[in-house]
Amino acid sequence: MIAEGPAQRPLVACANRAAADAGIRAGQAVAAAKALAGSLRVIDRDPAAERETLERIAGWASQFTPMVSIDAQGIAMEVESSLRLFDGHAKLTAAVSRGIRELGFSAMLGVAPTPLAARLFARAEVEGRAVRGCLALQDLPERVADLPLFLMDWPDKTLARLTDLGIVRLRDILALPHEGIAKRFGPEIVLSLERLTGRVADPREPYAAPARFRSRLELPAEAEGVEALLFPLKRLLTELEGCSRGRGAGVQRLVLRLEHGRKSHTRLALEFASPEREADFILAIAREKLGRLTLPAATNAIGLRADALLPYVPRSSAWLPGAREQAIEGERLVERLSARLGADRVFGIALADDHRPEKDWKQCHSREGGKPARANAASFRGRRPTWLLPRPHRLVTEDGLPMLQGTLDLTAGPERIEAGWWDGEEVRRDYYVATNARGESYWIYREHRDLSAWYLHGVFS
Amino acid sequence: MKATVAQLVQLPGVWRGGELEHVVHKVVPTGHARLDAELPGGGWPMGTLSEVLHDGVGIGEVSFLAGALARAADGARMIAWINALHLPYAPALAQAGIPLDRCLVVRPADREDALWAAEQSLKSGACGAVLLWMERFAQEYAWLRRLQMAAESGRAMAVLFRSTAAERHSTPSHLRVVVASDRAQMKVRIPKRRGPPLHQFIPCSGSHSNFLSSRSRSPNVPVLVSSRS
Repeated sequence: MIAEGPAQRPLVACANRAAADAGIRAGQAVAAAKALAGSLRVIDRDPAAERETLERIAGWASQFTPMVSIDAQGIAMEVESSLRLFDGHAKLTAAVSRGIRELGFSAMLGVAPTPLAARLFARAEVEGRAVRGCLALQDLPERVADLPLFLMDWPDKTLARLTDLGIVRLRDILALPHEGIAKRFGPEIVLSLERLTGRVADPREPYAAPARFRSRLELPAEAEGVEALLFPLKRLLTELEGCSRGRGAGVQRLVLRLEHGRKSHTRLALEFASPEREADFILAIAREKLGRLTLPAATNAIGLRADALLPYVPRSSAWLPGAREQAIEGERLVERLSARLGADRVFGIALADDHRPEKDWKQCHSREGGKPARANAASFRGRRPTWLLPRPHRLVTEDGLPMLQGTLDLTAGPERIEAGWWDGEEVRRDYYVATNARGESYWIYREHRDLSAWYLHGVFS
Repeated sequence: MKATVAQLVQLPGVWRGGELEHVVHKVVPTGHARLDAELPGGGWPMGTLSEVLHDGVGIGEVSFLAGALARAADGARMIAWINALHLPYAPALAQAGIPLDRCLVVRPADREDALWAAEQSLKSGACGAVLLWMERFAQEYAWLRRLQMAAESGRAMAVLFRSTAAERHSTPSHLRVVVASDRAQMKVRIPKRRGPPLHQFIPCSGSHSNFLSSRSRSPNVPVLVSSRS
């Protein structure tokens, strides 16, 4: 049960089903409620947390329409212009309620031509009076007619006086002349009625989510280990995906914070080659990274932070996979591999402009497209080995001839490579292809300054 | 009502142990005519795990596949080099006609990571070929089976390089080729294929000049071949 009001006499603001079954109702004094149910757990209402939650949902909902506003204790979404995109009301509302469930909330949806009427319908549903959505403005007075007045956000005093007059339903008050109502109950009552029926416009300030993402989730129970974190993490990522969609954005760097009690926490940074936002994909990456962690203690809350939302390039928009889609698949594979193995263990290779074998190739960050420095491989005169040793290996010799698993026959060469005199790492070598009796071929060389010393530099696998 | 054996074997999907399988699989030619003729379908199989067994390095055990690798990379697909002995040397790959910008070198810290990386690469569909170097390891049969399935789902060529000691053990892979060398001549035999094993060595021509030969490659299309013609 959630309590609000002055500390001396707190009132029940909201009660869960168990409490309601015990006879506890909103508006009761907390003392009275405790008399009804001894084991009652009272939580103080936290308006800031409520507001924050609404903002999070509003941010997430911005994927459906840019016109999302926070409306008292709910959010209002102007969806007229999005209907075509989402293929009608039924599908849109289904998508919204499914999404909110995924975020871990439950919501009552009301569909109506004016925001006040929509709110009214949603509240009616809370009260157990399901109202079918209304799409046409002219049907609206008929649809709202039977709803009780206490669903409107009017002061209690006004409601009490109306009840005294026998006016309990909207039908009753809509039938009365507006001047009279304005005189007796104040012009704001008339204004809300006119906004309800759409006779007066009801402009709303759309909620503008900040250009970054921050969200935190307290776990209902402490989670041991990593697998248990994936489900709550999925919620946060779903929220992130919604917010990013609304802005046409994605994130390139995400920081996941796992809180273990008050003092300690674990930080985990996720980085991508290009902005991403699909919850399932990010979850797969995070799963690999999390699998590598040993957590110091059980986790009781997780937070997700992205400091920059960057423009997102939509994917999979083509229905025939082409080179572009293939490239994106490749990028994602590289990310998945680097996430688990480490970025330095996954790389591409490219040619470089140099003649020294140590320097005529380079590692490049995979697929960032090391354009071949030399247009083709034709500039290599001789054959090059499949493997290059990280550093040349001195060979034993017999009668001046190199040995490796037997005597080596020089089958091709010499190919003279002289370069690097300009940067102090001078290379003056004669390279040969050498084969031993077992048919193994190696790339070996000797230096000009010492013709008796042979080195192994590559293997022709 | 009685069908003769001769009629039965004409039915599609009926295969006799004595002949090469004639179900249509996607294959890529290796560029070595003798070898292609012995491979079911007339080329190295895509979408399946194959094993290359060799003792000793430097006998052309990788480069004889250069032609097939270049084809497997068609359509902007990648070639993953996982857990290779040394670093693949870019100029050599370029000479062999293998597109460097599609090569991905993966150097995992342990076997478990290597197997995981291979499975991920195969499954992703982003790779046309995944080359893995690994000797015997724990739960080998189960892992090979997983790689086989990943290769099928990703329609990729998976090649496992290891020593001939593995020949004594059974394998779920569909193709097993033993590579050896006489002096300057490379030769292969095929102890396992979809068809009767080939126990004698056949020469695999030009193992040491294949880098150059594979560059002048014929039509750049994957080939679907049925061996029954």
